[in-house]
Amino acid sequence: MTKPKITFDGQTFEFEPGDTIMRAAERAAIDQGIPRFCYHPGLPVAGTCRMCTVEVEKAPKLMTACSTPASDGMVIHTQSERVRKSRAGVMEFLLLNHPLDCPVCDQAGECSLQDYNYEYGPSTSRFQEDKRVWVEASTKKLSDRLTLNMNRCIHCERCVRFTEDVTKTHELLMENRGWKKELMTADDLGVFNEYQGNIADICPVGAITFNDFRFKKRVWFLKPKPSLCDGCARGCSIFADEEKNVVQRYRARRNDQVNGHWICDAGRVSYHTYSDPQRVVQPLLRGLAQSAPQATTWETLITWLLREMNQAKRVLLLIGTDASSEEAANLMQILPSLTRGELVIRSWNGTGEGVQSSGDDAPVDKILRRRDQTPNTRGIEQLGLHPLAARDGDFDVALFFRSGRATLPAQKLAAFEIAWGVFNQSESARFAAVLPGLSTLEKAGSYTNCEGLVQTFEAAVKSHGHAASVKKILDGMRTMMKAHPETAEREVARDFV
Amino acid sequence: MAEKLLTRYNDTPGSHTLNFYRSVNGYQALEKALGMTADAVIDEVKKSNLRGRGGAGFPTGMKWSFMPKAPVDANGVAKPKYLVCNADEGEPGTFKDRLLLTQHPHMLIEGMIIAGHAIGASRGYIYVRGEFVRETQRLEAAVAEARAAGYLGSQVMGRPWSFDICVYRGAGAYICGEETALLNSLEGKRGEPRLKPPFPAQVGAFGMPTCVNNVETFCAVPTIITDGAAKFAAIGTERSGGTRLFCVSGHIEKPGVYELPINITLRDLIAHCGGVRGGRKLKAVIPGGASAPMLSAEEIDVAMDFDSLAKAGTMAGSGGVIVIDETACIVEVAARLLKFYEHESCGQCSQCREGSHWLARMFQRIEEGGGTDADLDMIAGICSNMAGQTICAFADAVTGPALSSVRKFRAEFEAHVRQGCCPLKPADYVPSAHIKHHASARL
Repeated sequence: MTKPKITFDGQTFEFEPGDTIMRAAERAAIDQGIPRFCYHPGLPVAGTCRMCTVEVEKAPKLMTACSTPASDGMVIHTQSERVRKSRAGVMEFLLLNHPLDCPVCDQAGECSLQDYNYEYGPSTSRFQEDKRVWVEASTKKLSDRLTLNMNRCIHCERCVRFTEDVTKTHELLMENRGWKKELMTADDLGVFNEYQGNIADICPVGAITFNDFRFKKRVWFLKPKPSLCDGCARGCSIFADEEKNVVQRYRARRNDQVNGHWICDAGRVSYHTYSDPQRVVQPLLRGLAQSAPQATTWETLITWLLREMNQAKRVLLLIGTDASSEEAANLMQILPSLTRGELVIRSWNGTGEGVQSSGDDAPVDKILRRRDQTPNTRGIEQLGLHPLAARDGDFDVALFFRSGRATLPAQKLAAFEIAWGVFNQSESARFAAVLPGLSTLEKAGSYTNCEGLVQTFEAAVKSHGHAASVKKILDGMRTMMKAHPETAEREVARDFV
Repeated sequence: MAEKLLTRYNDTPGSHTLNFYRSVNGYQALEKALGMTADAVIDEVKKSNLRGRGGAGFPTGMKWSFMPKAPVDANGVAKPKYLVCNADEGEPGTFKDRLLLTQHPHMLIEGMIIAGHAIGASRGYIYVRGEFVRETQRLEAAVAEARAAGYLGSQVMGRPWSFDICVYRGAGAYICGEETALLNSLEGKRGEPRLKPPFPAQVGAFGMPTCVNNVETFCAVPTIITDGAAKFAAIGTERSGGTRLFCVSGHIEKPGVYELPINITLRDLIAHCGGVRGGRKLKAVIPGGASAPMLSAEEIDVAMDFDSLAKAGTMAGSGGVIVIDETACIVEVAARLLKFYEHESCGQCSQCREGSHWLARMFQRIEEGGGTDADLDMIAGICSNMAGQTICAFADAVTGPALSSVRKFRAEFEAHVRQGCCPLKPADYVPSAHIKHHASARL
């Protein structure tokens, strides 16, 4: 059966039966020519902003693309004079009472109101009356994560529909009618769902802002880098927005296979782990009579490490389930050649109330969040690794590799515990040495999410400080072994433990 | 004047009781209708040329015939059909439904049961305007009487058909007179009009096929069934049958509800009501409730049926005729009406929410003497950005008084601009509190 066809501005495209004009336009990848405020592909259609009107041949009135069903043979004009006049009218109405405080508005630069007014709107205002001013609601806490400025609101109600339809928590609603219509939280309870950041994301203007990013950066300085959130086993697609190699925020990146349009709040603020000033980004080694490891050089550290590993009878390599599959495979392949004793390799998770394997994982809610708060449990399991168990016995040296998500094992793993990867200062105290590694943002690799989907990612930023990739450290170790096969006997590390 | 069909017993004490209604052959139309097939009832209503009395004037029989015969859901389970009576009479200048609810509730109930039979409904809802507290009480008493007498319930008049009526009082929003906003409100949601399609006949109250009619429309049904469609149709025009309840108010000698043939001219109607108050000169008439564009004194030789008024550039609307004499300031009239619309816009659509507010404030400024010629030129442009651009017809209604007042009485507006004040007000005039609503736009 042939598919129905629709014509946009002279070009004909196929669409699926049941599509609206907007969906058909999205399918044809020409939807950016249809401006919208209330329409969002992840929310139910409201049809109220009237910005997406298009001219449909043979229809007397302009039709809203978001709500009008597409039909076979429809001929649509998205930029006709009538359409542009209507859009100019909407823009004029929406800006009547808008404060035009773009210089201090966080949304500036990614604001639909700005973009569409530049495209369609009038350049001057004919409005002579006093602007409507919400005095109290000009800076109103909707929760400890969201701030509302009602004066900027254009009443598209995306936020209301998000809490009704996506989180089904119904915290937001409109009170009063007409020009006094005001966004409120139900029973003044505030917004309490775990996906609030999305509300700020979908607000087309600067009415609702996410406190974590509020007044932090002008968005035009940010470069969006596609990445993956490593906050749980879901592996949501994100944009890591960075400026000068510093990530300033995460935003959801649409991925219909995984997270749709949304990410959770815990994931959204998880980037703080990597920019934490307490993060260890220098090689550390504990000296004699020192209670915590101190800064050293990579050369010293690696020499010491090789010696310890060669002298040990039983070595544990504990790989966190937040390691990328490539890192884990690399470690499993190379480390056996660098130790003379018995090398036991196990996995470690420890998040979400004792999750160790993918079997312990479960959804936390009906949307995205998982109990397993590491990104690659499935991937590590596919490499044949099993979680550490009591029957694995005692070790002389334990190497614990993780990427900042897996928990620290509560039990002491061996006489010498060595940390490798992303750790912070307070965590480093128990370790004899710390090899600073890369976070998800700083490396490329792949994670296998809770549904078994393998997702690759690229580095969003360059590495911090002296932190180095697994491959680079392993290469360094091998080079040193080749150049100085006697390394194991050398006593360069006499001053150290 | 022609015979009264609906309001014959207006002045009879106790006209709202079942006993009285039965004594004047009440519920005999129901008996007759139940003996007819549903299609025969719809045909009879079609032949009567009855058009919806709520405002849009849609042919009632045709509306009923749009109801699906045997609707089923996705699983093939039969869906119930609902009948809704729109008693949210809120159009400024309209007060006919209130009279019918107070004096003739059984006529409404009988009309609804007949309509329920015609469309195969299992339940009827009467959505009453929030402010109508006593009307609701009387209606509820009448429903209880009808139920006790076996006209409503699991076996209507002993027949194997279950139909009952539920009276629901709104919360006082004008927009809930719009049928889809009414349905939302009936379901306990915000009273905001729905996107169409789907139309209520497909997805109405609680997601079920629903037919919504006005009080007066239902009240006309018993007489059509009893006396036949031909008699009803003979009264009006070819395309619009019967009498209509005109609500005449404003500067008129004898204001009130008048039941007259639908095609009476506006001039005759005003004369019938005793003429302009105090013998003063007529300035303007709003012929069909506040949303209808005004007619000037020269334009009143027009018949009051739907088509004639539409041809004259206005509308028959709800039948609310507001007479305005020479002592009234048209700018003030328009400003007051626009204040009403500003207050009642539901606020969904951008153009309506912001535009009604803009126009209301601008008209008030002009009335207070702060207007400019540029303002007057701008009004038509603002209105053209509003009308026909929104989900419901509210935005069009806002432009009714705004556009017609400036077009037909521009000289009066210009006088305000030139003199910097309202020329019809005494120098020491203090605007009343309800007009001084725009002192602050701070919320």
